[in-house]
Amino acid sequence: MPTPDRDTLILPRYGVGWRVFTIVAAVWMTVVLCLGFLGQIAKLPILEHSARNLYFHVPMWFVLMIGFLLTGYHSLRYLTTGRRLHDVRAEQAAVVATVFGVLGFITGTIWARFTWYAGTNVWWNADPRQVMVVIQLLICGAYFVLRGALEDERLQARLAAVYALFALTTMPFLLYVLPRRMASLHPGAEGNPAFSEMDIAPEMRWVFYAAVIGFFLLFGWIYTLRVRIRAAELRLAERRQDPLTV
Amino acid sequence: MDWLHGAQAVFLKDARLELRTRFALNALGLFVAAALVLLRFALGDTAVDAPTAAALLWIVIVFAATVGLGRAFVLEEERGTVLLLRLTLRPSAVYLGKLAFNVALTLALNAAAALVFLVLVAPAVHAPGLFAATLALGAIGLAGATTLLSAIIARTASSGPLLAVLSFPILIPLLFFAVQATRLAFEPGATWAAAETDLLGLVGYGGVMITASVLLFDYVWRD
Repeated sequence: MPTPDRDTLILPRYGVGWRVFTIVAAVWMTVVLCLGFLGQIAKLPILEHSARNLYFHVPMWFVLMIGFLLTGYHSLRYLTTGRRLHDVRAEQAAVVATVFGVLGFITGTIWARFTWYAGTNVWWNADPRQVMVVIQLLICGAYFVLRGALEDERLQARLAAVYALFALTTMPFLLYVLPRRMASLHPGAEGNPAFSEMDIAPEMRWVFYAAVIGFFLLFGWIYTLRVRIRAAELRLAERRQDPLTV
Repeated sequence: MDWLHGAQAVFLKDARLELRTRFALNALGLFVAAALVLLRFALGDTAVDAPTAAALLWIVIVFAATVGLGRAFVLEEERGTVLLLRLTLRPSAVYLGKLAFNVALTLALNAAAALVFLVLVAPAVHAPGLFAATLALGAIGLAGATTLLSAIIARTASSGPLLAVLSFPILIPLLFFAVQATRLAFEPGATWAAAETDLLGLVGYGGVMITASVLLFDYVWRD
């Protein structure tokens, strides 16, 4: 593994592209929120207006999954290049993914309480999708615990990267094998782990796609800011220790 | 061949050290026995049906494994022999030797757990062969997943409950397949064909964990 050089934490200044990105993301999310709360939906019994949760709850899952995949990607890159920026990116992707995951878990649990379990007074029924996401959140939690248990910065980065990749190898089982073997009320339980074309009303589909893109933009925004803050913090800490070299 | 001899040497060294003190074997055996006795007391006169029996057995096994399997690399760190191993052997040989030792230990653990369980909880085993195969495949998966993690926790300052925290979420697929297959073995009319998917799942899980561990072990092991 090549030794990391000190300059790897210096990021380029914000350009025009970033400005455009933030404006597009802000406008996009505003439009998605308006359409999500005010747009036409198919009013079904039991679901009623809670169907709007689809626009917010489901994209949060996608963000959790993509965020953790991003952690895996940067962990792999860290192990092969030894550049600290990849470690910073891996950690921050996990942080943002976890926040979206917890939000998705809360919205999903409340949603399930008043639709799937309507009239049963049950909050939790060990539905495979709920269990899978708890496992994913546990993995994220274990990742942060491991980071906290290691003091040496390079060892921390390396072992955390190994753990993230090791945990990622269980994802095929959790996402594709187990849900097919368990009974579920979640859409798509009849085979396809995601929901099928039949499960979503045509007038809702385009808002849903827009919401997914919007949440990805939001993730990209928060993630980029967090990476830059973390990199700046690390450089400041280094400067305090060693004022002449940085 | 050098590589295989190295792995064999690590395995034999660990086995010899273990047989000298029998610490891990005794500790694991007592842990399992005590846990199952506690379980029997807690259950009282309650009869246990097949799904519950399978779940209880595997919970005890997984907890025992996370208590007992963490020592493989911690011991090397404590004795200060890590450096010598690093100098003399390729990382994958060390991993393979430790894995073989952990598999042996887990097989012993599962056998002991199953025996005590059969006596104390007494579920009706309708397919002994399937039950034994599940225990064996489960042992391989369990050792495959925890060996790399025990190498990780050996590098941390306080390794106490860390192995459990790191391994539980990763062991959930294993737990699921193993419990399903065990439940089938406890139910009347048990057939191998019914448990095919779960056994294949166990094989796949063990294979994936060991492959990933071999690839990643380098980064944990070297300084």
